[in-house]
Amino acid sequence: MSLRTIRLYARAMFLAFEMTLRQNFTDMFVLFGIFVQPLIIALLAFWMLQERGSDYIIFVVVGSGMTGLWTTVLFSSGSNITRERWTGTLELLVGAPVPIQVVIFGKNLADVLQSLGSMLLSYTLAILIFGQIPEIIQPELFAVSLMIAVISYVCFGLIVSPVFVMNPNVQRLQNGLEFPIYILSGFLFPIALLPNWTTPLSYILAPYWAARALHATSSGGADFKEIALTWGMMILFSLVYLIASGKLFKTLLYKARVEASLLRQ
Amino acid sequence: MIKKLSLNLRLFFEGALLSYIALFHWLRPAQYLATKVWGPLVYMLFFVFLGKFATGQDNTSFYVIGNAIQSVALSGIYGVSMSIDGDRWDGTLPYLFGAPANRMTVFVGRSFMHIIDGVLGAVIGLTWGVLLLGLDLSHSDPFALGLTILITTFSTSGLGLLLGCLGLITRNVMFVNNTVFFLLLVFSGANVEIQTLPAWAQVISQALPLTRGIAAARQIIAGESLSHVLPLLAVEFSIGVGYVFLGYTLFRWFELIAKKRGTLEAI
Repeated sequence: MSLRTIRLYARAMFLAFEMTLRQNFTDMFVLFGIFVQPLIIALLAFWMLQERGSDYIIFVVVGSGMTGLWTTVLFSSGSNITRERWTGTLELLVGAPVPIQVVIFGKNLADVLQSLGSMLLSYTLAILIFGQIPEIIQPELFAVSLMIAVISYVCFGLIVSPVFVMNPNVQRLQNGLEFPIYILSGFLFPIALLPNWTTPLSYILAPYWAARALHATSSGGADFKEIALTWGMMILFSLVYLIASGKLFKTLLYKARVEASLLRQ
Repeated sequence: MIKKLSLNLRLFFEGALLSYIALFHWLRPAQYLATKVWGPLVYMLFFVFLGKFATGQDNTSFYVIGNAIQSVALSGIYGVSMSIDGDRWDGTLPYLFGAPANRMTVFVGRSFMHIIDGVLGAVIGLTWGVLLLGLDLSHSDPFALGLTILITTFSTSGLGLLLGCLGLITRNVMFVNNTVFFLLLVFSGANVEIQTLPAWAQVISQALPLTRGIAAARQIIAGESLSHVLPLLAVEFSIGVGYVFLGYTLFRWFELIAKKRGTLEAI
């Protein structure tokens, strides 16, 4: 791939990013998932975990923020292709020389970065409720973890979106997919509480490794080796998701052309 | 007089049935099952595990009962409000407002099927609790528990009717519904003991439907009799009636506003 092509793709990705960001700020459903729901979950978790003392404040801030990230990937990023179809712009995107995967990556990046706002809001809520500033124990490692987590969520979104388009029945069950990932990823409680048979399911989810990395670096209690493992797993899963999504997008576009279903509602 | 009464009854039941069919005509069985069976199970599991982590002890039944009863809000809030709001989206609102039908009959009729559906939702939630989470219903009086669920669903539907009215003047009624549903998880006592909430939050709890219904259900499942929880149920019912009347008043008021502004069909 030449430097010019990379620049071209980056430009398309940035434009998709900017457009999505602007659209999201006018969509109350998206804003609810990004800001309101995580904030209410944070409030609930603060009150439920109050007996555990102030050590859990940062745990709740990070955990509730992660619920916002997943909700956004599921509902917003998951519908990124479907939304283009609804607005009649999918044909144009598919016909453009830039691969549609690049455009969807930019859109997902906007969704995920925007949903980090939920963590900031939860942080502010914690300050308002407890009158103290929650401390991130390893800020540098936390920042790196957050960066890798964002990439892994964006890549996860690249899988979700074509799967939903190719299997409308799966998208119809979207609401039922939100809380299982909250549970399996250990956003607000350790997965050790769950039955043993669920552990392998958690291990194949990037959000689980993201939660582990972010909780470990914000609340402390993990050595660098363990944090490096979580980073490695997130990068590994991001690559797996990217490769798988490449195949999914190829199949999706092939099917859409054969069945002439690009504009099907 | 009898003719008028029978006309209103027909309007009530036909309206109830048709609005229910209209709301769910786009739902496939799998989608309905995901919403009514799978959905309540997964959010119940989430709060049960969070509760176990929070208290460090096995309080499973507290969270199972709280969230099973809270699931009536799926029908009471979303179902009912979407039935009212749906007329605007489907373009049938002008016909509804143009008809000579009794507004109260039309308005309350919208919630009837959702109350039945909500009761079913709570029963499904409790069944999950018994099958998967070891909930013990052996000490409970089935009639008292059934009555509690029915009254709680009614009162929650009252709030749903009120929220549905907002759909007549705003396009963002789903945002309001979602927010209220999640706030109920916090303030209804489904997941946090009311007495451990800050004083201002307790005031909010007391004004909401569900709060007393959940408390009554917990007491009945613990073995208390119907007469013991009757005062709680009486207040829960009164709160429901209050919300229905508030909703109805707003319904008539918004009808006037929508007609004045010409926004009956604006979506």
